[in-house]
Amino acid sequence: MNSLFWKIFITFWFALLLFTALSLTYTSHYLKKTRSEIDTSQPRIHLQNHIAEASRIAQSQGIDGVRKWLIKLDNEVAVPHLLIDENGKDLLNREVPNRIIRRINRRNARYDYFSDDNDQAENSNHDDHEHKRRTRHRPIIIDQMRYRLVPDHRSITLDRVLNRPKVITIPLIVATLISGIICFLLARYLTSPLSRLRAATSAMAKGNLDYRVAHTMGKRKDEIVELAIDFDNMATQLQKLLSSHKQLLRDASHELRSPLARLQVALGLAQKKSNGKIDKELSRIELETERLNELIGQLLSLARLETNTSEIQFEKINLATLLTEVVDDAQYEAVSKQKQVNLKNKVECQIKGNPMLLKSAIENVIRNAIRYTEENTSVDITMQTTDNNQMLIQIKDHGPGIEENMIDKIFEPFVRTSSARDRQSGGYGLGLTIAKRAISLHKGEITAKNNTQSGMSVLIQLPYMEANI
Amino acid sequence: MNRILLADDDIELSDLLVEYLTGEDFVVDAAYDGKTALQLASANQYDLLILDVMMPHLNGFDVLRELRSTSSLPVLMLTARGDDVDNVVGLELGADDYLAKPCSPRVLVAHIRAILRRTDTTNTKQHQPSRSIELDDIVLDNQSRQVTVNNKLVMLTSTEYQVLEYLLEHAGSIVNKEALYEYALGRKISPYDRSLDMHVSNLRKKLGPLSNEIERIKTIRKVGYQYVRSTHE
Repeated sequence: MNSLFWKIFITFWFALLLFTALSLTYTSHYLKKTRSEIDTSQPRIHLQNHIAEASRIAQSQGIDGVRKWLIKLDNEVAVPHLLIDENGKDLLNREVPNRIIRRINRRNARYDYFSDDNDQAENSNHDDHEHKRRTRHRPIIIDQMRYRLVPDHRSITLDRVLNRPKVITIPLIVATLISGIICFLLARYLTSPLSRLRAATSAMAKGNLDYRVAHTMGKRKDEIVELAIDFDNMATQLQKLLSSHKQLLRDASHELRSPLARLQVALGLAQKKSNGKIDKELSRIELETERLNELIGQLLSLARLETNTSEIQFEKINLATLLTEVVDDAQYEAVSKQKQVNLKNKVECQIKGNPMLLKSAIENVIRNAIRYTEENTSVDITMQTTDNNQMLIQIKDHGPGIEENMIDKIFEPFVRTSSARDRQSGGYGLGLTIAKRAISLHKGEITAKNNTQSGMSVLIQLPYMEANI
Repeated sequence: MNRILLADDDIELSDLLVEYLTGEDFVVDAAYDGKTALQLASANQYDLLILDVMMPHLNGFDVLRELRSTSSLPVLMLTARGDDVDNVVGLELGADDYLAKPCSPRVLVAHIRAILRRTDTTNTKQHQPSRSIELDDIVLDNQSRQVTVNNKLVMLTSTEYQVLEYLLEHAGSIVNKEALYEYALGRKISPYDRSLDMHVSNLRKKLGPLSNEIERIKTIRKVGYQYVRSTHE
């Protein structure tokens, strides 16, 4: 019973059964009620009323009025009422069963035998029953023609009942409501966990591997819940694999440092003991050791950004102040290379972020720009707000620029462009990758483009909380 | 000859460093874990402790915290390169300086000498006349290297003392960041180095504001710092 298959099967089956049963019960009840009216006095009063109304309409509106009234009556009640003239014909030209004609003839004969209509007053003290009988069968006079209104109880058919809107409306409404409610509940029951599952998959597609969905399913047990549990297991497994992969990168980078530290001390000892004989080679070894060290440092920063991101704490930062600090620092480095770093303008604004990460992100971009800008030129930095509450920081260098097809790739690890200069300088390394990671942790975006005149611009967009523009 | 205690759990690295530092005329003892380092530090008279952050049992921060409760022994922290948090935490706990590991032994020696130069009290006693600086509620005695605020003794690390001394000597005027850095840390300032800010921030915390709730040390952006005199002077 817990499986989705049986749930759908049983619900539909039950709904259909309920619908059929209700319709049948209602119609049979209605038919029973109508038929039983033959034996009670209720329909006689109805009939008297109908006759009285017909006579009134006949007097005021003539035969056309009576015809209209008769059609209306026929639509309203389940029992067909025939209005038969002296020739045994129905006013609406419906077929008149023989038994009714026989009955009318029999009745006419009897009334003639008893008395004329004129004697009615004298005979009023007759048997009361007989009086009622007579008023009930009093003819309706239309254009000097005598008509008799006769209910034809035997002609009630299911088809006739179902064709009377007044009769069929209530069960139809009930059936619509009941089946509607059942189908609505079923549909919601089926789709609501599916939409939660969909939210989970799209969260995962966006890289949120922490999202779990099974606990939102409540107490149900069916194929959807099994799917949700399997989904969670898959996410856990994926997370494990990914984190062990990243952990490996982190551990490896970390472990590489111990031998490197020893290497550096050993190198120092060697430099002391060489007495200048192999100084050139040793300083080369020192340079390469330093490069290795730098690289491992970057790998570690990247690994740190990709592993324990949940531990990163966010706070309110003044972006202009932070940018100023980074630029001031970068200026020291730039001046030693006969280059400049200028913060062209400042827009006071608060953003939510981790100051350390943001600083390293912007610093990486600026240092990269310093590296590529020509001597005696400057790296220009501007801040501006965009329409969608984002702060746009532009870092513009005056260097050689970049090939158009490489523009998106410079944020990938260890990308090299084909220019000879780049080969010599060792490519973009990991700096921009680290920057991209850190910026995207702040829900920001980082892109690059070539300037119209010379060099390249890196654009950093960050959502801000408030700004004084 | 200066005595140095080296606390690092990498035995092979320690051996190499001991050899190198001995060659630079230091007397070096090595401890391979935090506990031993603390025991040796309290049992012997060292001029400097080189403390690695990453150690089993008691890590560098724990050692530093414990040490600072009893001693003002100059401490040079060896932190993991690129981990700025470590640097900040180290300085906050009262380290005199830090150095990212791995590093060239020459740089290490330069750092050691810088710290020793400014903490070598025997030297300063001989060469500098005994004098103390008094300003508002603060008294700095360069003989005993002790600082009191409102007659209450304030425990400062050697670096913090240097920073304060320089700022007080130039009280009221703006002090250039590079000069202060060189005076306090004994070496040239390098880009992206925020350690001076940390030391100043520690000083602010330890000294508290002036009696009229004004911060003693003002940051002058792009230039440096200024020790603020009480307005009534």
